[in-house]
Amino acid sequence: MKQFALTAALTAAFALGGGATAQAWQPTGPIEFVVTSGPGGGTDNFARVIQSIISKHKLVEQSIVVVNKGGGSGAEGYLQGKAGKGDAHKVIFGTNNAYLLPYVAKLAFSKSDLTPVAALALDEFLLWVNGSAPYNDAKSYIDAVKAKPGFKMAGSQSKDTDQTLTVMIQEATGAKWIYVPFQGGSAAATQLAGGHVDSNTNNPNENVGQWKAGQVKPLCVFSPVRLAKSEPVFGGKGWGDIPTCKESGIPIESFQMPRTVWLPADVPADAVKFYEGVLEKVSQTPEWQEFVTRTAQTARFMKGQELADFVAKDEAANKKVFEAEGWVVK
Amino acid sequence: MDNVASLMHGFSVAISFHHIALMIAGVLLGILVGVLPGLGAPNGVSLMLPLTFSMDPVSAIILLTSLYWGALFGGSTTSILFNIPGEPSSVATTFDGHPMAKQGKATEALSLAFLSAGFGALAGVILITVLSSWVAGFALRFSSPEFFAVYFITFASFIGLGGASPFKTIVAMCVGFSLASIGMDTVSGSVRLTFGFDVLLAGVSFLIAVIGLFGVGELLLTMEDGLSFRGIAAKVRLGDVLRTAAKLPRYWLALLRSAAIGIWMGITPGGPTAASFLSYAMAKRSSRNPEKFGKGEPEGVISPETADHAAGSAAMLPMLALGIPGSATAAVMMGGLMIWGLNPGPTLFTDRPDFVWGLIASMYLGNIVAVITVLATVPLFASILRIPFSIIGPLIIVVCFIGAYTVAGKPFDLWIALAFGIVGYAFKKLDYPIAPMILAMVIGDKAEDAFRQSMIFSQGSLSIFWSNALVSTLMGIGLMLLFMPLIGATIRRMRGQAVSRTA
Amino acid sequence: MVTRLWAETVVALFTLAYGLTIVWGALEFGIGWDTSGPEAGAFPFYTGMLVALGSLATLALTWSKRLSGRDMLAEVVLDGERIHRVASFFLPILGFVILCATLGMYVATVVYLVFTMRFQGGFGWLRTLTVAIGSAVFFYLALERFFHIPLMKGPLEAALGL
Repeated sequence: MKQFALTAALTAAFALGGGATAQAWQPTGPIEFVVTSGPGGGTDNFARVIQSIISKHKLVEQSIVVVNKGGGSGAEGYLQGKAGKGDAHKVIFGTNNAYLLPYVAKLAFSKSDLTPVAALALDEFLLWVNGSAPYNDAKSYIDAVKAKPGFKMAGSQSKDTDQTLTVMIQEATGAKWIYVPFQGGSAAATQLAGGHVDSNTNNPNENVGQWKAGQVKPLCVFSPVRLAKSEPVFGGKGWGDIPTCKESGIPIESFQMPRTVWLPADVPADAVKFYEGVLEKVSQTPEWQEFVTRTAQTARFMKGQELADFVAKDEAANKKVFEAEGWVVK
Repeated sequence: MDNVASLMHGFSVAISFHHIALMIAGVLLGILVGVLPGLGAPNGVSLMLPLTFSMDPVSAIILLTSLYWGALFGGSTTSILFNIPGEPSSVATTFDGHPMAKQGKATEALSLAFLSAGFGALAGVILITVLSSWVAGFALRFSSPEFFAVYFITFASFIGLGGASPFKTIVAMCVGFSLASIGMDTVSGSVRLTFGFDVLLAGVSFLIAVIGLFGVGELLLTMEDGLSFRGIAAKVRLGDVLRTAAKLPRYWLALLRSAAIGIWMGITPGGPTAASFLSYAMAKRSSRNPEKFGKGEPEGVISPETADHAAGSAAMLPMLALGIPGSATAAVMMGGLMIWGLNPGPTLFTDRPDFVWGLIASMYLGNIVAVITVLATVPLFASILRIPFSIIGPLIIVVCFIGAYTVAGKPFDLWIALAFGIVGYAFKKLDYPIAPMILAMVIGDKAEDAFRQSMIFSQGSLSIFWSNALVSTLMGIGLMLLFMPLIGATIRRMRGQAVSRTA
Repeated sequence: MVTRLWAETVVALFTLAYGLTIVWGALEFGIGWDTSGPEAGAFPFYTGMLVALGSLATLALTWSKRLSGRDMLAEVVLDGERIHRVASFFLPILGFVILCATLGMYVATVVYLVFTMRFQGGFGWLRTLTVAIGSAVFFYLALERFFHIPLMKGPLEAALGL
């Protein structure tokens, strides 16, 4: 399998490499990777892994500088994109924040200040409970929450993906939680492991350490299909053994966070093509596959129309929650 | 005893020519990063991260942790020599370290700082070695109310310390609090107090404030007196370093107390900056001559330094064992661990014993290497003081502003640093205390978050702060510290009256 | 000449204005206490309020001392000579920051150091230029080259293609 992936990647890289010489736009100076999170955050890892793959495979001639602009839940980074209008040497790494943040916070940027380039992966959300909790499937947990008020759901930040998902589950099932916002996924993970809250909706990577130790356990994944098979993590169960939430009775088709890459507005179309090509090559390297597998994300390369459709759909679904909850700022 | 055997195995992994060379390189780079204000350990570590992608995890973590130790040491150097904390956690070192340097005791201050820092770090590592599993379990018992209680203890210990006007203390502290609340609010998700200015989105960095208040403000004051740094003729000899080392055991009580405070704050995790402030406050409170503090008291250097480094190394434990970063630098290293393919968490100790114990062993070695390396640089740094002020003054200004820019790469930060320089100058002239302001900026927003999270937990009831033995004890200690100066004063007054009556 | 009285008054008025600004900014959000604890504006509101009240108290204390004649606060905190010294140090810093924003940090460093060393410190040209250019080169190598941290650049760097 690995052998095959490697060969495929090399073939693809070769094919694309052949096309690259014909491209009109090439970077003429150092490229800045603007990361919309602080050092050590999920988006930071995303950008730095890409940086290391690009330099290892020499996919770009120019040097790459990574800068962290994580202020205001990443708004600071997107504002850099707005300020860099027309500058194709500025690449912004983010999530669905890029088009969702302007709804919930009063910020001086909008989606039109950025040019979408690509998405490389989808980060998954799971419903986790404490390892010693008496629930073994999502249904029994939801029933318990419905029976008695006061259950607590931990998540990272407020009016962000975790809270949006919590609201979606509440609407879909009629259960009700007290949502407690923490600074990040790792805090939400330890709060659950320590039994201070009843559940969280962390990404796989944020809870895997605690799951390995049996301190937390996953009930279901908010993905249309089960995750890719993996080595067993705890008690003989691996990522692929977790049922989807839909099959366990929570009627939510999917909730996934795209890992996205953007350029400022008004950049030449050829520049977008250039980065699409580079990132597509990155997504086919064995290192990228390895990174995605290790962090249990779903590898999915999207560009052009496919990306635009995804964004439109994701935006509409989230907007519905924001409006229903009264989070939208004027 | 298992742990000792594992540690020995760890040493066999860590001791190699390659690794020792990496440690020295890391420490030297760290000193460079630490000396430049603004460019702190977290930046340094994240900048070196890409270099480590091609290394094996043990070598990589050795390089990064050594860089961290070096940065902590370098930060203290500038605190003592120029009153500019190179690292946030060395702010408290300026209080007595710089006065010592001004009195011509720069070598003594630097040596004391490095040696006690080394002591603190070793104490932290020993704890990790012996108690790793117990501590990991204990830290899991901490939730928002307990975090709030820990911050409360730190504030309570610092209030009423200085002799400044209480109104000015309140003003300074609350200015710090309000600055800390600028930007995105975790609990509500709204952007606060930016008044529509995008440059304020990420808040006002406390590092910029420190650069302005201490660096620029201090230089303005120095210039006003027309003074250069005094005591510049002090000679630097290896003998001075050794003589200072011989004096260190005299301060055993301060060392032990500060190490305990540091370890506690590293694990809980209040972080090294809060630890050094708390330790300084406790040293002053328990001292027989508190009036000497702030004027070059050696204990005022030893206490924050020991606690700072003890917290820095102890913070590695929650990072490895729980995946909670105890400091900003630990957060960056955690990102590194994930990129190297390691999952920090309770099972890391059993999954990758070679990595964990290699790291722990390297913490022993790295700190020893770091102490020796920095002590060797003392003469170099102390000789900087001999450069005429009309050269070094403007150079420090350049370093300050370049440092301010490197914090976040924002041109606007230069203006903020300049504004803080004026504020620092005015506040110092008129005896507004600066330390409470800095402390409020560092942990103000964390304390606020912890408080509001606790209130969400309890649905608005304050009783959550007395809901279990752990949090009750912590709050009790905090309240005691808060009211102790009042109680002490009352007792003294009553005694005084009793004495006058009998007389 | 600045006396203590006026220095205290000006700083207290400044902090008062700051405190009120914070209070005003906090009012945009709720400042009450609902079922989930204090609202987003509560902490800034009360800290801003305390800053304002503390400033008023300092003002009141200062002027009551003066008006009651207990302490005239006529002590001079800044005399002409000191003002001159501080200004001669501060104004070049201001110039340095302006230069950073316009010409970039490297050029600003050289210009600032040349000004302070040659024209204020009275050092020779050789020494001045060595230190000034040496510092700029050091920062370029250490930050830009080694740590990959770009500093602010201006037209000169653009012309040199750095």
